[in-house]
Order: sequence, then structure tokens, then C-alpha cells
Amino acid sequence: MKESTHRDLIVLFGLTGWALAVPHYGSDFVVSLTLSCLMYAALASSWALFCGATRYISLATSAFFGVGAYASALTLDQLPWLAVVGLGAAVAALVALVMGLAVLHLRGTYFAVLTFGMTELIRHAITYWEKQVTGTVGRVLSVVPERDTVYLTVLALAVGAVAVAIAVRGSRFGLALAGIGADEQRAQTLGVNTRLVKTGGFVLTAAFAGAVGAAMSVRWTYLDPVVVFNPFIGFQTVLIALIGGAATLWGPLLAALVFSLLAETLRLQLPQLYMMSLGLLLILCVLYLPGGLASLRWATFRQWRDDIRDRWRELTTPLKKEAAS
Amino acid sequence: MNGHPLLEAREVTVRFGGLVAVDAVSAAFAAGELVGIIGPNGAGKTTFFNALSGVVAPTDGELFAQGVRLTGAPAHRYAHHGIARTFQTPRVFADLSVAANIDFGLQFAGRGRSASWLLKDEESILNLIGLATQAALPAGAITPSQQRLLEIGMALATRPKLLLLDEVAAGLTEAEINQMAQLIRRLRDELDLTVIWIEHAVTTLLNYVERVIVLHQGKKIADGLPSEVVRNAEVVEAYLGDEMVEPA
Amino acid sequence: MSALGWFELIASGLITGGIYALIALGLNLQYGLMRVLNIAHGEFLMLGAFVTWAAQSSLGISPLLMIPVSFLLLAALGLVVHRLAFRRLTRTSPTLDIFEARALMVSFGLMFLVQNFAQGVWGGDLRGYDYLADPVAVGGAQFAGNKLLLFVLALAVSAALIVLLRTTLLGKGVRALMQSPTGARLVGIDTERLHPAMFGVGLGLSGVAGCLLSMSYTISPAMGEPYTVTALIVITLGGFGSMGGALAGGLALGVVEAVGMHFTNPSLKPLLSYGVFIAVLLWKPNGLFTRK
Repeated sequence: MKESTHRDLIVLFGLTGWALAVPHYGSDFVVSLTLSCLMYAALASSWALFCGATRYISLATSAFFGVGAYASALTLDQLPWLAVVGLGAAVAALVALVMGLAVLHLRGTYFAVLTFGMTELIRHAITYWEKQVTGTVGRVLSVVPERDTVYLTVLALAVGAVAVAIAVRGSRFGLALAGIGADEQRAQTLGVNTRLVKTGGFVLTAAFAGAVGAAMSVRWTYLDPVVVFNPFIGFQTVLIALIGGAATLWGPLLAALVFSLLAETLRLQLPQLYMMSLGLLLILCVLYLPGGLASLRWATFRQWRDDIRDRWRELTTPLKKEAAS
Repeated sequence: MNGHPLLEAREVTVRFGGLVAVDAVSAAFAAGELVGIIGPNGAGKTTFFNALSGVVAPTDGELFAQGVRLTGAPAHRYAHHGIARTFQTPRVFADLSVAANIDFGLQFAGRGRSASWLLKDEESILNLIGLATQAALPAGAITPSQQRLLEIGMALATRPKLLLLDEVAAGLTEAEINQMAQLIRRLRDELDLTVIWIEHAVTTLLNYVERVIVLHQGKKIADGLPSEVVRNAEVVEAYLGDEMVEPA
Repeated sequence: MSALGWFELIASGLITGGIYALIALGLNLQYGLMRVLNIAHGEFLMLGAFVTWAAQSSLGISPLLMIPVSFLLLAALGLVVHRLAFRRLTRTSPTLDIFEARALMVSFGLMFLVQNFAQGVWGGDLRGYDYLADPVAVGGAQFAGNKLLLFVLALAVSAALIVLLRTTLLGKGVRALMQSPTGARLVGIDTERLHPAMFGVGLGLSGVAGCLLSMSYTISPAMGEPYTVTALIVITLGGFGSMGGALAGGLALGVVEAVGMHFTNPSLKPLLSYGVFIAVLLWKPNGLFTRK
């Protein structure tokens, strides 16, 4: 095993242990906070697995999450818990397969816009279906598992997402993904079946999102398409992954932590401020730190300090010249 | 080895909207050939290469690799059939090391394909193309002519039977061009490769290849020995007689 | 359905289509020229609407007067946004694909920023005011006065833009840049000044659209997004970069929506729009009207 993989697994092990302790020692608030953090960690890590490497920006996470949540709501009283989560993953994977076959052959901007369009289409389609065909206005979840079961499931999904990311990075599949991100056509001429690899990665990312959706659905006792297919879930996932550093392993996790804390402190009092700071942070990151938070090094700070110093000199020298003459 | 040519193009046409880049070109390539493709600017040479390597699907016509129909197949299938290519402007994976760039082909199209001991692993390929000392450097940090060599190395890593080289000598000095030509000859001889070489530096090419195909405005206007082709009236007219020099 | 019924239906479709065209033109200008797919476009429309509403309700300024004012305000904002956010990207992005992806993400962030800013300042409630709401008879059918005004003005501004692009030197410069960035620079067209200027014009147009919309419809901080999506659909239909296509596509979409809604269920409208959008993107990624 490579040394870096070894180190990553140890860190993961440590974090898992710590996270396992939370339900036993933490208050309800802390558990809820950690749960939300784990949810975004799972979503952002699995998103980055595919989208970070290939640089295909997918805005479809809300669709997969929502589909998983719906699958869960419909089968919760018939199937055991693990089967429900598994079903959420499977249905989301199926949706991703269909979507992927249709849109993965298109380039960057088209792909992003199309995934957004399809997500909204799915949301509107299910809303219409619920209203006109089944006549329900929302679904009530009657049989709900314990808080700790949900927590452990989401924790397992988060750990799983990071573990899969670690495994993929060292594999041929991961190399193919990176090749596609670097120069897709070149990778294809070197033997990568780009269509298959992209579809596989997309489906994998969807399966995790679907499973998370299925698990988190029980947090809402009343489910309707507006809540469950909220596009904000997808947006926040993308934001977190990008700000953390989509091409890195720990970036999305780190950002998920930061944003969960930020969300909990700001969201209730100043929800607009929270969202505005998300937007601003994303812009700043894209402009000044394209690799995300995970790419921050001492050298980066030094570079910024030098840049600011040069700019200051540029702005003040004409004034100094005037003063001297 | 069956009786089919290694790669065969039949009436291949490539149209982009109203522009016909390649016009019903037919050519068959056998094992071990060293073929040059020349033609004035805009003749369709690179587009023809794109069709031969599956990067572009022909609008009309067929492509066969050892009798297997590959028309319209995605490029990776061509690679798996042993057809490798370089790009005119080197397209290396800038963030990966030189060695990792070579390894890429070995991991995909080259995987499981039998090949000469010269293409055994990254190290052997690096030695073959002469980039062994640059192995650990990021591919974006080496010089353009080194990147040219890396391009060839990456193509070789797929353990091909046929190598398409697109203007690998462009912008090189006279000495470098001769070095490059000798490398190409060596690849053909020692690796049992078929090499198809597009070049603008017609003089050098004519000295090294055994067969020349001339393209002009998308059509094939000549196909034969270099000595015959230079005397072909149509060819001379296409080039306005400037660049054609009789081979030594 | 009677001829009059068809006339009313198509006319109302054209009216909505006029607004769609106006918004799409602005988005198209930004994408075709600078390859910036500004998905925050609708948010600036929303700003234009709110500014007009605020001027009207607090200061009593006529919305008609606000048309040029909202254009100027939003254009100025566009200059600032371009300077702060997009100019650096042009310099630091290694390839066009990377630039497009980063620009998309920056506009994503802008969407969050602007929408929530508005929500924070004005609150999430629906607002509106009455302006020329009395019906006017045209060809036997009745239309609200403000909607007719909206249509005429939207069409006028769109047409003016297209004419300007075709006839003036500046316009020709812009079109040259769209077709060939390097070639345009070689003949001396100043991209450094043209890019922010046109970005500003694009936002200015969406500000005007917002101002016009505020006359007839209720406004809210969340109103922008559906219009961004519609604008995307329109420029996809008409072809990325094609001005005439955006105009034709906008009007066409308005009519298709009106007819579709009339004969099926009105709640199918979003499904219809997205369905058309996806179908066009998949079938003809370069748009229906572009010459290939």
C-alpha cells in the first residue's frame, strides 16, 4: 500500500472513532450539528470523487438526494432500514445511469446546465405526479428509526464516501478520471473508454447521494417535493466541495465542517448572511484559490502578501513622485 | 496475422458543415511500412489522421483495422486495436510527471498487449525516446522539443502496431530533425511498427520514408515511391514547385 | 377555438416572449462575447424590478422614467462586477474550458450573493404596484395597458440593440470579437474596454427587463431564477451567440408556452419548459437557428 494511502486511512480511522463518540457524550444540539456535517461530508466527498477529478460540474445532487428520500418515504414501513437506504442508492444510481447516458457526452458548461435542467425537471415532474396522479399533498413518515440509527448510517456513508475516494485515487479508475479531467480526448486516444468511466463515476456519486437522501428523509416527518428536492442541497454540496478543494481528498470534508459550524451559528439569526457569505467565499476561492481551502500553504499566504505589497507600491509610487517634484 | 491490411481507409470523407476537409481518400497500410503524408496547408492531413485514429468519425466511407470495421467507433477502440497517434501540438498531462505520462498508456490501451522488450515498462520507453533523466519532472516543465518526444513515448506506451506521427519535426533545427527521423526509422525497424508520418519539412521526410501519399484540398493526388511522387505534375503544381527537392 | 381566441392566445404569448427575448439578449451578449454563462442574470433583473418599485413607491418616480435609470444603474453595476470578478479570471485561466467553468462558478456565487442581499434588504414578501393596468382594445381583443407597453418597449429595446450591433462601428467590433477573438484584437479592437462595457450592457438589459416586469407583475427576491432558466432555454434554442436567434427564440418560446398551457394543464408549464430545454440541448447543442 502506498504511504499516502496508509496515512489517509489512519486519519479516517481516527476521525471515525471521534465521530462515534459524539452521540454518547454530546447534547442533542451537538449531535444534530455533527449529523448535518456528516451529511454534507458524504455528499461533498462523493461529488468530488467524480466531479473534482473530471472537472464535470454536476448540479444534479438534489435530484439524487430527493429520489433517495422519496424511495425511503415510500418503503419505510415495508422494508428493513438497511434495505431502505440501499434502495435509495439503487434508485438514484438508476436515475444517474439514464441521465448520464444522455448528457455525459457533452462538454463542461453544457453538462452543468443540463444536469441543473434535469434536476428541476425531475422535481417538477414528481410535484406534478404527486398533485395530479396520487393526489397526496405530502407524505407522512410513520415508522421512524431512532436518532442513533440514523446517525450511524450517515456516519457510515460519510466514512464510506471517503474510503471509496481513497481507493479510487490509487486505482486505474481514478487514473482514468484524472486523465479525463486533464485532457479527455488525449486520454481516449490512450485507451480510456471515457463514456464508461464517466458513467461509472457519475453513477457512483449518485448512489451515495441517494443513500444519504434515504437516510436523512426521516429527519423530516413530513415529506413533500419542495422540501426534499430543494435545489439548495445540491448547490451547497457543490459550493462546499469547490471551496474545500474538489480535486483533493480532505478538502470537501474540511469545508463541510467549516460550513456546518457557520450554518448553525448564522442560519437561525441571519440566514441571508450565511448564504451571502457562501456565495462570496465561492467567488473569492475561484478567483484567488482555485484549488480550494485544501491547497492553502504557507507559500500561498506569502504570495498573497507579496501581491498586495506590489499592488500597494503600484498605487502609491505616482503619488510619491508628485510629492517629490 | 490475417491477410488484411493493418489499417485501411476506404473512400473516407470528413465534412464539417459546408467544408469538405477530407474527400473520398482511400489508402491501405501494411505491417512494417514507413509512409509519409505531405500536402500544402489545409490539405486535410491532420483531419485524415483524426479519422484514422477515431478522434473524428468520417461522414462517409469506412475504416478497417485488420479486417475489423471500426468506422464511427470511439477513439479508445482504435487504441485497443493498436493504432496510436501523436498530436501536432503536444498534449501531455502537464501536472503529472514525465514517467506518469508514459505510464498512462501502459495502464490502458497498452495493458495486456504483447510487445517488444523495448516497450516493457516506463523505464524502457523513457530510455528509448531519450527522456530517462527527465523522468521525475512534471511534464509541463520540460522543453517543447522534449514534450514532442514525450508525445511519442506516450503513444508507444499503448504498445501499438501502427503509429501516426503528426508533424513531429515542426520547428526543430536541422540537426534535431535528422535525429527525430533516425528515431522514427529505429522505431519502425526495432519495434516492428508501421509508421505514418505527416510532415511539413518535406525534404527530410522524402529522404527517410519508403512511400509518400500527397493530399491536396482533401483529395489524394499521389501515392507511391518518393522518386515518382516528386515528378508527378499535379503534385508539383500543388506545391508550386517551391518545396520539392529531389531525394539524394 | 375562434380566430379571436387564437389571436389573444398568440398575442399574450408574444408579450411574454418579448420579455424573454430581452433577457436572453443580455445573457447572449455576455456568453457569445466573453464566454461567461452568467446564471446570476435573473438576479440582476430582480434588482432592476426592486429599484423601480422602490423608486415608485417611496419617491413616486414614474416607472417609464426608471427604464433608462435602471439600465444605467445596472450597467454601472455590471462594470463593477466585471472589474472585480471576471477580469482576473480572463488573466489567470489557462484554457477556455477552464475559464468557462470558473466563470460559471463565479456567477453561481453571485447568484447566492445578490438574491440573499435582496432578501435581507427587502424581505421575502411579494410586492407590486399598479401602473397603466386598464385594458386596451387591440384588434377586437382586450389586453392590459401595461402588458402592451411592456411588449412594445421590450421589442423596441431588443430591436435597437440588434440594429446597433449591425450598424455602428462599436457593434461591428463586438460582433467581430464574437466570431474571432484573436482576429479582432489583431485589427485593433480593444477587448480590454469592450468586455466590461458589454458585460455592463448585458446587465443593463436585464435591469430594463426587470423594470418593465415590475409594471405588470408582482416581484420578490426569488423571482430571478425562473427567468435565468428561461433565458438559458431561449439562447439554447436560438443558438449561443446569435442575437437574431435570441429574439426569435424568445418570442417563439413565449408562444409555445402560452399555447401549451392553454391546451394542457397550466401546472405543466415548468415541465414543458424544461422538457423543451433538455430536448434542444441534447438534439442540437448549438441551437436551432445557427447555420452549421
